[in-house]
Amino acid sequence: MRWLVLAAGLVAAGFVVSGLVPGEQVDERIVLELRLPRVLVGLGAGACLGIAGAVMQAVLRNPLAAPEATGVGSGAVLGAVVVTVFGGAATSPVGVIATAVLGGVVGGGVLWVIAARAGSDPVRLAVVGVLVSAVLAGLTLVLLTARPQLAGSMTRWLVGSLNGRTWEHWAALWPCLLAVAVAAVLLAPVLEVLAVDDDHARVVGLAVGPWRSAVLLLAVMATAAAVATTGALAFVGLLAPHAARSWVGADPRVAVPVSAVFGAGTVTAADSLAQAVPGVPTGAVTALLGACVLVMVARRTSGGVA
Amino acid sequence: MIEAKGVEVHFGQRVVLRGVDLEVAEGEWVALVGRNGCGKTTLLRVLAGLRRATGSVHIGGTPLESLSRREIARRVAVLPQAMPAVPALTVRQLVRQGRYAVRGPLGMLGGGEDAAVRNALRVTGTDAYADAQVDRLSGGERQRVRLALALAQAAPVLLLDEPTTYLDVRHQLEVLELVERLRGELGLTVVTVLHDLAQAARYADRVVALREGVIHADGRAADVVDTALLSDVFGVRGRVWRDEVTGRPLCVYDSVE
Repeated sequence: MRWLVLAAGLVAAGFVVSGLVPGEQVDERIVLELRLPRVLVGLGAGACLGIAGAVMQAVLRNPLAAPEATGVGSGAVLGAVVVTVFGGAATSPVGVIATAVLGGVVGGGVLWVIAARAGSDPVRLAVVGVLVSAVLAGLTLVLLTARPQLAGSMTRWLVGSLNGRTWEHWAALWPCLLAVAVAAVLLAPVLEVLAVDDDHARVVGLAVGPWRSAVLLLAVMATAAAVATTGALAFVGLLAPHAARSWVGADPRVAVPVSAVFGAGTVTAADSLAQAVPGVPTGAVTALLGACVLVMVARRTSGGVA
Repeated sequence: MIEAKGVEVHFGQRVVLRGVDLEVAEGEWVALVGRNGCGKTTLLRVLAGLRRATGSVHIGGTPLESLSRREIARRVAVLPQAMPAVPALTVRQLVRQGRYAVRGPLGMLGGGEDAAVRNALRVTGTDAYADAQVDRLSGGERQRVRLALALAQAAPVLLLDEPTTYLDVRHQLEVLELVERLRGELGLTVVTVLHDLAQAARYADRVVALREGVIHADGRAADVVDTALLSDVFGVRGRVWRDEVTGRPLCVYDSVE
């Protein structure tokens, strides 16, 4: 899998370089106004998803935890769709991020309330998370069906796309990315302890409840920032942490930043592939990549190596 | 050092501990014994602040509920019974987490290990495989890693729940002798849950026998461990005699009652 990610990174690097170095027929303005912001937004959103996935998988102690499997991703999508449907095209990217965070908190919160009553067992948490995601995705679809004239432009939230991402989106995204990245670095020691066991965490002196909430809120914000800017780029938050762990191990001081880099690379690579085939959204490519990884993880897990 | 009064714990309808009083003096070693399900692990978890209970627990004169988790962890180190599956961490990385209470989340940022970690690795002999992944170790090695983790906390109270499980005879003795030595050197207060009555009698100053959530007997091993205890607490017929070398009771189990 690490080679898959490395290859993706190389493709991405190639795309960035070829796109940014002006060739004879490439106008400098196209590079500056279209390609550069698109690449930056892709990198930023991918990094956010990489951080979100790595944090969730560690704190929920579940290798299959990811924004899309916890209700956070679909909650953020719902938030973004609601504000765009009712706020119209005038809604600023910052506004979309804010409502996406709200939606993500609601999605994650619903999961938390249900699962906490069930004893916050990680496995139950994951199962309930899939259910919550399905319900929220259903609500989003209901909303889109009610406004068929908007359905076309709304599809971008459901699938995820970098089409038409401009400096405006980058301006909204980078402060979120910066905040989330700094918080993730500062919380790495907490994450490391929480990743082992609740009892263990309490024994070494960590108040599990509040710290877990703080760390999960960080994951929600990272997810929402990405979803609000690019839509739900499926499986990036699942794939990147796996690749990071298989490469550098589980210490979140290293694994979370590396997961961010892998996430950024995956999205940019997927986007360059998507651009090569007209009409294919970036999210469709990441979903395909992710499905392959999921199969590999499942095979390894059933083989007893996990 | 530890003072528990009127501790009661309920699991739904079931009463696990009813009105348990236990005092452990500074530097003392108390062994909790009893059948499976008698409440000894629950009592240990109450003393560690890992389980809520009615009644009161004081550590070093301070009520446990007035302390934060970090403050508790600076006073009490615990080796819990259940061994979690540790994610891909090395021995060193896991033992280092024992310093969280002292160094705090920001102090742990840089990683790195201090003297307490190196010392814990050394005295438990885990420094020989400090860079190995914890989940690739044998049961005995892992148990020693967990002991190293507890020692890295450098807390004055050490609570050990069945520290000799998973270990062969030699490693059992190594662990118990190590605890004995550290208690002498550092003046640790030790409470252990032990299944082997002879081991409890051999190492602990005091044996506390629990039966159905009540303290059935509490005293020096020589005074407490007898055939009546085997019968009342464990439900087995056996013989008990005094070992001439150690002066402590020895026992042999003959049959189920």
